Amino acid sequence: MSVHRDTVLIVGATILTFFLLTIGFFVLLGKPPFEMIGMLLTYALGDGYSISQTLAKTTPILLCALAAAVPGRLGLISVGAEGQLYAGAITGTAVVLAAPDLPAALMLPMMLVCAALGWAFYGYVPGILRARMQINETITTLVLNYVAVLWVNALVFGPWKDPASQGWPATITFPGAAILPALPSSRIHLGLLIAIALAIGLHFFFTRGASSQKIQILAGNRKVGEMFGLNFGTWVIVLMAMGGAIAGIAGIAEVSAIQGRLQPTISIGYGLTGFLVSWLSRHQPLIILPVAFLVGGLVAASDALQLFAKVPAASAIILQGLLFAIALAVPGIIKSMRPNYER
Amino acid sequence: MQKAIACFENVTRRFGDLIAVNDANLEIFPGEVTAILGENGAGKSTLMKLLYGVHTPSSGRILINGKPSTISGPADAMINGVGMVFQNFSLLPALTVRDNLLLAWPKTPYWVSEKNKRTTEVLANLKRLAPHINPYSKVSNLSVGEQQLVELCKVLNLSARIVILDEPTSVLTPAESQRLHGFIRQLADEGVSVVLITHKLADVEACADRIAVMRQGQIVDVSTRGQKSMSEIVTLMMGSDVKREISPPTYPKKRVEKLFLNKICATAPGMSLKDISLSIAAGEIVGLAGVAGNGQALLAQVIAGIHPATSGDVVLDGVSLIRRTQMETLSTPLGYIPEKPRENAVVENMTLSKNLNLRELASGNIDATEDTKNLLTRFHVNPPEMDRRASTLSGGNLQKLVSARELGWPRAAILACYPTMGLDLTAIQMIYREIFAQAEAGAAVLWISEDLDDLIAGSHRIAIIRDGQLVAVKNNDGKLNRDTLGALMTGLHPERRIA
Repeated sequence: MSVHRDTVLIVGATILTFFLLTIGFFVLLGKPPFEMIGMLLTYALGDGYSISQTLAKTTPILLCALAAAVPGRLGLISVGAEGQLYAGAITGTAVVLAAPDLPAALMLPMMLVCAALGWAFYGYVPGILRARMQINETITTLVLNYVAVLWVNALVFGPWKDPASQGWPATITFPGAAILPALPSSRIHLGLLIAIALAIGLHFFFTRGASSQKIQILAGNRKVGEMFGLNFGTWVIVLMAMGGAIAGIAGIAEVSAIQGRLQPTISIGYGLTGFLVSWLSRHQPLIILPVAFLVGGLVAASDALQLFAKVPAASAIILQGLLFAIALAVPGIIKSMRPNYER
Repeated sequence: MQKAIACFENVTRRFGDLIAVNDANLEIFPGEVTAILGENGAGKSTLMKLLYGVHTPSSGRILINGKPSTISGPADAMINGVGMVFQNFSLLPALTVRDNLLLAWPKTPYWVSEKNKRTTEVLANLKRLAPHINPYSKVSNLSVGEQQLVELCKVLNLSARIVILDEPTSVLTPAESQRLHGFIRQLADEGVSVVLITHKLADVEACADRIAVMRQGQIVDVSTRGQKSMSEIVTLMMGSDVKREISPPTYPKKRVEKLFLNKICATAPGMSLKDISLSIAAGEIVGLAGVAGNGQALLAQVIAGIHPATSGDVVLDGVSLIRRTQMETLSTPLGYIPEKPRENAVVENMTLSKNLNLRELASGNIDATEDTKNLLTRFHVNPPEMDRRASTLSGGNLQKLVSARELGWPRAAILACYPTMGLDLTAIQMIYREIFAQAEAGAAVLWISEDLDDLIAGSHRIAIIRDGQLVAVKNNDGKLNRDTLGALMTGLHPERRIA
């Protein structure tokens, strides 16, 4: 169980360091630090509205984190969640545009499945390139992000533009049947439930069962895995496609439940945020859950903080950057401080 | 006699418990080629890295020109006129040959245009040593052998007084080797001391003036050219001191062919196998002898279905085991003990019990509850804690762990590559007992080793591999000895003098 204890220690130390540096940041800004942190907490969790905002941000971050964690378990570094999110949005929207009159009972599953397939394909391509030709998956996923984002632009500025929108680049507003159900007067939608279910499901997939052992062997020593008949390439493709599908769901959920239509800016860097959340949590779905919530809260609260407390707009991004820099640095520092850490 | 340019006095180097170099005494003279000959892991490279400043001696001292060496690192060594060419090179593949040479050259002017006459000298050594290499082609486009030559030019450009070459011919073609040999002689004639680390007798024969033989960290012999015969040198290299109690099972009464290698051909970078055929009967132990780097490792990987074969087949009980393409994967039914267990045979971040059950885990059976604790003690894995991670074990214990996995259950065939590497005497006896027990139970055993005494004591037949081909398969009828095997391994006549 030493793995588990280490993770808890690292996450704890990270949050503590972040807290201390945040105080320093507000002092530098000339704001009362504890009051500001108090406000951050209030805007993240203070009332129903804040919690709803936080959870709305948590959903895509959580899904994108899971999308990075799935290939991450095999030691792959996929930064493609952002692009996969856009790709899922495209294929999901295509269903809505093709058959806007479907009843919700058919529309929602079809929309989600198509989004997942779109993303799965978008993960499959870098997967097969890596598996068959040793082409670096980090670079291909990174570059494909731009392709997907620009495809969305091309579509909403072009063939999919709502003629009634008078030049505004967006599709038609989604019919009611295509909107993911949400809690009344809040932005907490079905996507969150799907995301949590996926996180728990992935936890079992990665810790119990036959596949978990195969993935662990291949991640630990590819040569040994192949000696016993495991095919690295097949698993690369499977896990990249799975990750892609998860990010695709994030895309369509965001379009359907939050925006109500496909438009150029679906994501405010959720893909990259999710990637960092996944690495911060060591690709462990049950750790990703609270970390994504924490980061979602930070995103939502710093948005509010900039509106109400007159801190510069950039401080939201600075705080996020701070969090991730610490998250990357702290584990290394803890390791090096141990007198006899295992290699 | 001349004065030595470098002198090792009782030099010892330890890495933890391992004594890599033990009480070494050696003199290196200007204008001479000193060959350091020995098997893998004999301590040849470590000895020279001490001179080059990569490591410092644990005890003893090194004199350079009669004064204690103050060399503290490679950069310092180069200033002091000591250059070393490593087995793995330090060239920048994206740059041209000329740029690589200029980078390492102390006299490189600020302006490196081709028209600058002060840069022409950097290519002088390259033109002498390897006129066929275009200095303007990128290093990434060169063959491994050509890269080695460029690396050598880099060191020569430092006008070093001592040039150390670490296994320089292991990646060269025969023609390139020949040119290198001539060049080494020429360097020596110019007064440079050349140290040639090698396990190839051909290198020694071609150009060595003085031959130091190392075994298990010790310099066991230093002789000048012509003093010793080839077979004496081979005997010194392989060692014959430890007598072990090895009693192989009796040869099976009725010969039932079990493991069948049929005209295997395969290629890997720097090595190719040509038409290897061998048939091993149930209960038979066949030893495979050869000087390291003659294709044993590749052959083992092909038989185990890890490296694809270009043609031929491996058949065990009528079932083909071989991989045809790089994409294909299959689980090997052999009890397979690869070399270098840490890299090739264990998953370090998994527990010992999981490592013992890798076969079952990989085939999707997670309920495998073998009695791992017993296996760990039976194979002397220390500590025998099932939930310990494999990464915490020492190399020797990892070797035993892999043996436990591969020999702990009855197997149809055993493929063991240096199964006793890094083990102590009791563990070695235990491993042999387990392998022989498998043979007695009817397994076909192919046993790859460099230890000729053990092979002669323990196998029914001995096959000899050289340059990727089986050159002979001898019945171990009591008449085989180290000299005859050594001669077959090196391809040289045993009585021929090094002259």
